[in-house]
Amino acid sequence: MAASLSHASYSATFISSASKVTVSQPSRFSPSFKASTFSPLTVKPLNSTFTPHARRAVTTIMRATSTPSSIPSDTSTKTFHGLCYVVGDNIDTDQIIPAEYLTLVPSNPAEYEKLGSYALIGLPSSYAMRFIEPNESKTKYSIVIGGANFGCGSSREHAPVALGAAGAKAVVAESYARIFFRNSVATGEVYPLESEVRICEECRTGDVENRDDSISVKVKCRVCIRGALYSCFMNLYQVCSS
Amino acid sequence: MASSLVSPSPTSSFIRNKKDLGFSAFPCSSQIAIQKCKKQVSKKIVSVMAPQQSERKPATTGSVKTGMTMTEKILARASEKPQLSPGDNVWVNVDILMTHDVCGPGSIGIFKKEFGENAKVWDREKVVIIPDHYIFTSDERANRNVDILRDFCMEQNIKYFYDIKDLGNFKANPDYKGVCHVALAQEGHCRPGEVLLGTDSHTCTAGAFGQFATGIGNTDAGFVLGTGKLLLKVPPTLRFVMDGEMPPYLLAKDLILQIIGEISVAGATYKSMEFVGTTVESLNMEERMTLCNMVVEAGGKNGVVPADSTTFKYLEDKTSLSYEPVYSDAHASFLSEYRFDISKLEPLVAKPHSPDNRALARECKDVKIDRVYIGSCTGGKTEDFLAAAKVFVASGKKVKVPTFLVPATQKVWLDLYTLSVPGSGGRTCSQIFEEAGCDTPASPSCGACLGGPKDTYARMNEPKVCVSTTNRNFPGRMGHKEGQIYLASPYTAAASALTGYVTDPREFLQ
Repeated sequence: MAASLSHASYSATFISSASKVTVSQPSRFSPSFKASTFSPLTVKPLNSTFTPHARRAVTTIMRATSTPSSIPSDTSTKTFHGLCYVVGDNIDTDQIIPAEYLTLVPSNPAEYEKLGSYALIGLPSSYAMRFIEPNESKTKYSIVIGGANFGCGSSREHAPVALGAAGAKAVVAESYARIFFRNSVATGEVYPLESEVRICEECRTGDVENRDDSISVKVKCRVCIRGALYSCFMNLYQVCSS
Repeated sequence: MASSLVSPSPTSSFIRNKKDLGFSAFPCSSQIAIQKCKKQVSKKIVSVMAPQQSERKPATTGSVKTGMTMTEKILARASEKPQLSPGDNVWVNVDILMTHDVCGPGSIGIFKKEFGENAKVWDREKVVIIPDHYIFTSDERANRNVDILRDFCMEQNIKYFYDIKDLGNFKANPDYKGVCHVALAQEGHCRPGEVLLGTDSHTCTAGAFGQFATGIGNTDAGFVLGTGKLLLKVPPTLRFVMDGEMPPYLLAKDLILQIIGEISVAGATYKSMEFVGTTVESLNMEERMTLCNMVVEAGGKNGVVPADSTTFKYLEDKTSLSYEPVYSDAHASFLSEYRFDISKLEPLVAKPHSPDNRALARECKDVKIDRVYIGSCTGGKTEDFLAAAKVFVASGKKVKVPTFLVPATQKVWLDLYTLSVPGSGGRTCSQIFEEAGCDTPASPSCGACLGGPKDTYARMNEPKVCVSTTNRNFPGRMGHKEGQIYLASPYTAAASALTGYVTDPREFLQ
């Protein structure tokens, strides 16, 4: 699900114990050879002490890096919901997509799908709940919650591709390794969001359905566009954080 | 550009935090601190009111220049800008783009999709394509991926394609080299002052030549294929000063394990790591490559070693292209400086399951091991095998566990069979390894460093304990999720093979 964008604003909502599994895809824009700038999206908890029934949304407007030819876009809110899968610190690319599956070429549609079916299969067996059920090829979790240094290790673009192909829409991590972050943005496969607190310690994978101390986070950002410098290249192009 | 005034240049480099390290460590500065720091260093002086007679005409003063680090200078030149600061985003001209069999096909796919089926690469002499990861395997997709590379190279008339067709006999392939990062160096593609990008995280190895080298993904590589440029953010630099004579039981691997253990696997994220000092100057090129190779394991964007006579000598017979080295200014700004007294360091390992899980080798002497692996871009170069051989010669005994040897390239393999090991009475590495009971040196490639297809030589298919000269030990790295990998220098690996336990090489080398 490569999201090709010329301009967009995004907000992400995730609910740790959501029973709904519908995921609406962010809008796609037709490729128009634009490169865009944006800073890492920051996710703030609604209530810093994580008390139940937090209602008020806290929005964070990210500063967009201004460039001489930048044209501000209009800010709109996009939301997507989904179940979250929680992992720890330093989840490296070998855990996200073990090396033996790297013979699959991501730009080949059939192999792209196959890559997705192996996403996070490298996690140790201490992770009792798997990202993708045996005999399934897609995940039911649309948001991955991570700790520090998510995506460390290899430069393999197969990592964000596998997550995206599996059906994940976003990763919310405390921090990222740079190549993984850059690849996530370049491909648009998963939105790499940064959280200011360790949400991975507040959430658990597959919480019981009627748990009511759910956490909602909302983030809004503005993305600025630069004029096209080089034709023939599209996809959201990350500037600030690599 | 500053207005018409003078700026005094400080004679010493401005360093945010100076850290003298025996063994203690301090946390690195935060991103916010960099901003503050930059403001402090600003050398702009603005005249408010100047009397007539002291007014200077603009033509008599030059523009105010802030000192730049090596990395900043390389990127400034590559982006055709006179001055850069950390945080600047610039379009950089790429001198070399490297790809291999794992990421090449994907990059090519993106290139064709975005630039057109009939598009041509920006420069057929600046793209170096090196199959090396999954070569000696019967995995059909792996073999097909090398074919994809070949088709592309033929169609584009790529000058440097180190092809392999006969998988049963690597020597029958005159063009085939092996591990990309070692091949790039051996074939003269690494040159001081240049920008080298590769679809592999260990592309940072080439920083040993005083150039900017870093790993990128398929999409970025697809873009570079078409344009020869990439948008990069200028990283701040961490400086690592290592002085003193290298003890006979330490290798560059120990130095970098020390550093990673100090700053953690995210300690250098988005930063450049600069290695200077008399110890670094005493290292040969392959040892410098080992140092820069694992920069990515600390999260580093790139690593650099200033080019010197060692570099120039190495390059003499390898490239005829001209190059212009750059060096950090005396008054450049570094984010932090770490100093090491090498004489106090001891052989190290990185215990499972992280490269920053540092421990003294001697403190792990009760860890029983099942196997030893000597290979990869990190620890499979000629110097690495010479080092291992030295330990076997000193011991004279046989190994107690299966010891796998995977030379990085054809050249390395040849060296094992031709170079004589000092102090061994004229024996070659291969003879010494054979007498010690090691496995026969295997076909050159990345091998089991990253597991790979199930039939990869020396892949860990069961949970075992392995001492390895490779670069990562995250869960499942060499194949089995429960495998335990201890990262170590070739000295430590050889010593451990001889005892069957994690062993400090001083047991044999003092």
